Amino acid sequence: MPKSQFMDPDVIRKSGYIEFDPIPVNQYNKTIKEESSNFSKDDFLRIYRDMAIIREFEQMLLDIKTKSEYQGIAYNNPGPAHLSLGQEASAVGQAYLLNKNDFIFGSHRSHGEILAKGLSCIHKLDDKELIEDMETFFDGATYRVVEGKEKDKGNVKDLAIDFLLYGALAEIFARETGFNKGLGGSMHAFFTPFGIYPNNAIVGGSATIAMGASMFKRINQKDGVVISNVGDASMGRGPVWEALNMGAMDQITQLWEEGYNKGLPIIFNFFNNLYGMGGQTMGETMAYNFLARVGAGVSPTQLHAERIDGYNPLAVIDAMRRKLDIIKTQGGPVLLDTVTYRMTGHSPSDASTYRTKEEVDKWAEHDVLVNFEKKLVDAKIAKSDDFAAMREDIRERMVKIVKLAIDDNVSPRMDLDKNPNIIADMMFSNQKIEKMEDRTPDVLIPKEENPRVQKIAKKERFGFDKNGKPVSKNKVYQLRDGLFEAIIDKFYEDPTLVAYGEDNRDWGGAYAVYQGLTESLPYHRFFNSPISESAIAGSAVGYAMSGGRVIAEIMYCDFIGCCGDEIFNQLAKWQSMSAGVLKMPVIIRVSVGSKYGAQHSQDWTSMCAHVPGLKVVFPVTPYDAKGIMNSALNGTDPVVVFESQRIYDVGEQFHEGGVPEGYYEVPIGEPDIKKEGKDLTILTIGATLYRALDAAKELEEKYGISCEVIDARSIVPFNYEKVLESVKKTGRIVLASDACTRGSALNTIAQNITEMAFDYLDAPPVVVGAQNWITPCYELDAAFFPQKDWIIDAVHEKILPLPGYVAKNNFTETEQIRKNKLGV
Amino acid sequence: MATPVIMPRQGQSVESCIIAKWHKQKGDKVEVGDQLFTYETDKATFDEEATVAGTLIDVFFEEGDDVECLLNVCVIGDEGEDTSAFRPDGAEEAAAEAPAEAAPAAAAVEAAPVIKVSDTAKENVFISPRAKNHADKLGVDVRFAEGSGPNGRVIERDVEALAQSGVAFTKAAAAEGASSDAKFEGTGIGGRVTTGDLKKPVAQAVQEAMQAEEGVAYTDVPLTNIRKVISKAMHNSLSSTAQLTLNTSFDATEIMAYRKKLKANAEKLGLGNITLNDIVLYAVSRTLLNHKDLNANMIDDKMRIFNHVNLGVAVDTPRGLMVPNIFCAELKSLAEISAETKELAGACQGGTISPDLLNGGSFTVTNLGSFGIESFTPVLNAPQTGILGVDTIVQRAKEVNGEIVYYPAMGLSLTFDHRAVDGAPAAKFLQELKANLENFSVLLAK
Repeated sequence: MPKSQFMDPDVIRKSGYIEFDPIPVNQYNKTIKEESSNFSKDDFLRIYRDMAIIREFEQMLLDIKTKSEYQGIAYNNPGPAHLSLGQEASAVGQAYLLNKNDFIFGSHRSHGEILAKGLSCIHKLDDKELIEDMETFFDGATYRVVEGKEKDKGNVKDLAIDFLLYGALAEIFARETGFNKGLGGSMHAFFTPFGIYPNNAIVGGSATIAMGASMFKRINQKDGVVISNVGDASMGRGPVWEALNMGAMDQITQLWEEGYNKGLPIIFNFFNNLYGMGGQTMGETMAYNFLARVGAGVSPTQLHAERIDGYNPLAVIDAMRRKLDIIKTQGGPVLLDTVTYRMTGHSPSDASTYRTKEEVDKWAEHDVLVNFEKKLVDAKIAKSDDFAAMREDIRERMVKIVKLAIDDNVSPRMDLDKNPNIIADMMFSNQKIEKMEDRTPDVLIPKEENPRVQKIAKKERFGFDKNGKPVSKNKVYQLRDGLFEAIIDKFYEDPTLVAYGEDNRDWGGAYAVYQGLTESLPYHRFFNSPISESAIAGSAVGYAMSGGRVIAEIMYCDFIGCCGDEIFNQLAKWQSMSAGVLKMPVIIRVSVGSKYGAQHSQDWTSMCAHVPGLKVVFPVTPYDAKGIMNSALNGTDPVVVFESQRIYDVGEQFHEGGVPEGYYEVPIGEPDIKKEGKDLTILTIGATLYRALDAAKELEEKYGISCEVIDARSIVPFNYEKVLESVKKTGRIVLASDACTRGSALNTIAQNITEMAFDYLDAPPVVVGAQNWITPCYELDAAFFPQKDWIIDAVHEKILPLPGYVAKNNFTETEQIRKNKLGV
Repeated sequence: MATPVIMPRQGQSVESCIIAKWHKQKGDKVEVGDQLFTYETDKATFDEEATVAGTLIDVFFEEGDDVECLLNVCVIGDEGEDTSAFRPDGAEEAAAEAPAEAAPAAAAVEAAPVIKVSDTAKENVFISPRAKNHADKLGVDVRFAEGSGPNGRVIERDVEALAQSGVAFTKAAAAEGASSDAKFEGTGIGGRVTTGDLKKPVAQAVQEAMQAEEGVAYTDVPLTNIRKVISKAMHNSLSSTAQLTLNTSFDATEIMAYRKKLKANAEKLGLGNITLNDIVLYAVSRTLLNHKDLNANMIDDKMRIFNHVNLGVAVDTPRGLMVPNIFCAELKSLAEISAETKELAGACQGGTISPDLLNGGSFTVTNLGSFGIESFTPVLNAPQTGILGVDTIVQRAKEVNGEIVYYPAMGLSLTFDHRAVDGAPAAKFLQELKANLENFSVLLAK
């Protein structure tokens, strides 16, 4: 909502028509002869070779899956194999012009793309670079297996092809020498030194991530394009649409600054093999008829969409040449509808009940290898014998690679008996990196001139004055100021840092954390996103895995539901699925609402805590907010930062001397004792801290029970030591948060305390969470979220009966059983 | 007409706003749509425009002031108009401090919960791990705990109460024969329960213990806290003082006759419970002040001479020895001393004795007479300088007018700290005490 753009009713209300340009469909029709000026004989043969390598690779996997042997070598591969037999031309054609600075992201069916991109890079890289890439990757663990085993001794490219095939196959066979130490597998194999970025087992999962990678390239002025390779059926997924739209959003060309205002360098390529598993996209499950049509619906550029013939490698190369040129001159995004056909099933267990033998046979007549060979023979580029020899050579190489990849001695699996923590150690990278790149950050004014910085300078950094009176809300340094300070500091330090989300710029974020950032930051570092949570979170993943740092804001915590895949499957998992190759310095800011009912007031810390790979924090004081945000921003792991709308304006009440002006970190994972006591421990997550303190006060004043109140601050990771020490002292603990009780992370904490401090407990740890209901309207809040009385009731009913106390709520076991029986 | 301009409320949660800037000054002409002032919430900045034309005739707040929402900020009208009606309260000291929260009335802590102890042992005890560990540490038998936790669970405080009640015994005590299953009739001096009273339970318990621990030669039982305290105090006494014991006996004919008289007239006098020990206590209280070095504490390099006789009475309790004091005993009658002794003994055995009564003694009397002890060496209740042991009564012969007559002789064993008192003065005390006891009716008359 920039004021610079005037929404003129005279224009908006004018009548007229939207006009579309025709969308080209398979317009390529050149002959080999016509193309011979563009391709040498070697080029033509290399195109054939690359397709043949993919064919043999996939055939080998099919043999192993269906016959448990390949060329007489017995092996059983229990993992998945979504093969791309028949789709070789589209992969090789796409990769032909790409180099290592160009990133490809793939799908579950991307073996062909990995190999094609790798072969293309090997062809373009010089020997020195190749050796360096191979030697440095995992300290040469993969390289050592194939080193010196090349057929043409001393030929680095020959060796590099062995390396590529071996690294991919060892990964598919879950070997520690694979490209991702076996943690990625068939659907997730990748090799970033060659610009091969993650494939994705979630249909369409790569679209938002690739778009984020292209944002990284544009914003940080990096060379290269990014290609999102997804299937035709993924067009049915919302996140793919979100990626198309956000990747093409108007502001990039209309509002972003000079030098950054060219459309994103991305090709949204759809390998359109006509089926999503068995669902036929053209005629059954989709409405587009031609997939390329969708481009016209996204933007006035129609995303330069066209359908191209993925059964002709030269047609694909031709399209790529034209599209790369468009990206270079006008900018993207580009949409390609690359038609192709897979000859085998979705997976080896697919009986192809959804298509006829006639159809498959007819496509077999169009086989890319047979037809391309025939064309080259006809054009006298080479003889049939040459192709046969090439195929034999490839088979020989494949036999060598398979033997290496299944040999447990040279290709061991991770030894989890010997090193039980190998995977655990990869869940987080736990690094501290001040700036992801070393250059001057792009800002508009010196930090001291920022109006918010100046406003904060006048505020009281501690919540009470000299006489112990609370400082008024407008004069006190608030929690939102703590977040802001950490964030603006990092913007002036890390040039790659970007922040975006809904209503971030101008508005300053729905809760004014970002108020004042607009004055300091150019559009391309700080912008409003479309209301596309999947694209916001997914692009953050892509931006970070390309080497940048991001703060993505999801506004209300409840909207995590809109980007569940991106947060739970992508953000959480890529560090470990890459065996530590990728870093994920992403902050997801979410706000727990209050006053806004069932879909805007939920605390979903527990959901995030359940998924391995995410750090989850919930700071509730200005001191903790700044310190934890600093830690998160200085780290390399994905952190979901929960904020509570109930307390954005709270002043610092605990940290002596108030919130420091300078840099400091509050370590993620360390709970904090906000108040000491000796008879009862109350552990809280989130804003419930303040209610717990009220309860502690009453328990002390009325019943002489001295309470120790601990603020968890982090949910993942979580250091139990301080809590155990407290419980061993007091013997009693109540755990409280705004999350619904069933499945609350508090139950996990309570269970761990029970296990580790059992002998010290005078009563079972008691969890006081929100009701297992919808959040009602604000006026009924007190019946839903834990209140002071609930905590005291819980103490009275379940821990330490209080003389003369009458519980206001029903915390009896009978009620507990009744409610659970009903599922409420 | 004068029109006030209020501080708008920008959102339900906004309570006040800060005036960031005044665009018009008092006296300025104002047109509709003119910016009057800019104000800030904690989240955003807004401009307030004039909705009427006129002159800004009054301004109630300055830049930087934090103004409560809906209060009048300024007034637009014709020059000279009265604006006092619009002046908000507290506009003078506009930098309104947040209202100080009324200091919470120091609510009285509710009465401590009444924690009970059970008379009978329960078979199934639901007890928290913490309470169980605590009970083990204190050596109390949790079967006698009355659970005050949820669902009657025995929790830490119940064990604490049990330990203080003294009803339950240590494992050691149980093994030695004490069992709480029985009610005991105190038969000792002062009506207190002695180990003699435990005879039957001892037999039972030993039998049970032997049955339970068939084939086990011994059991290692950790010391209870009170045992530890006693052990330390005794050792300290013996290692830090120079104590020795003088033994004598006196003719108890008169005091026995006196007691007999009281008993015979018990209904009439109500003094039937006065014991021989009470009589000894009385005599000690009347004798001590003449021997100040024995009515004293020796603390490092000084003697603390007491002006009153704070007479310690050793009490055998199930948990061990306890010594409550009868303060200012020399001012109390025999009947009072007797009653107080019983009360103190009861409190010690019931575990309800106030710690204040266990400290501050000037001299102690301990009695093993009921066990038939003829002479013993009491250990000083340091830093007291003297302790009198009361022995059993034996028949002795003496020559009276050339005839051998038998008389009841009651032994007295005085241990004193030779650092504080020499032998002769200590002997003089015993001598005077003996005289007082043998002529008790005279002493009573004094």
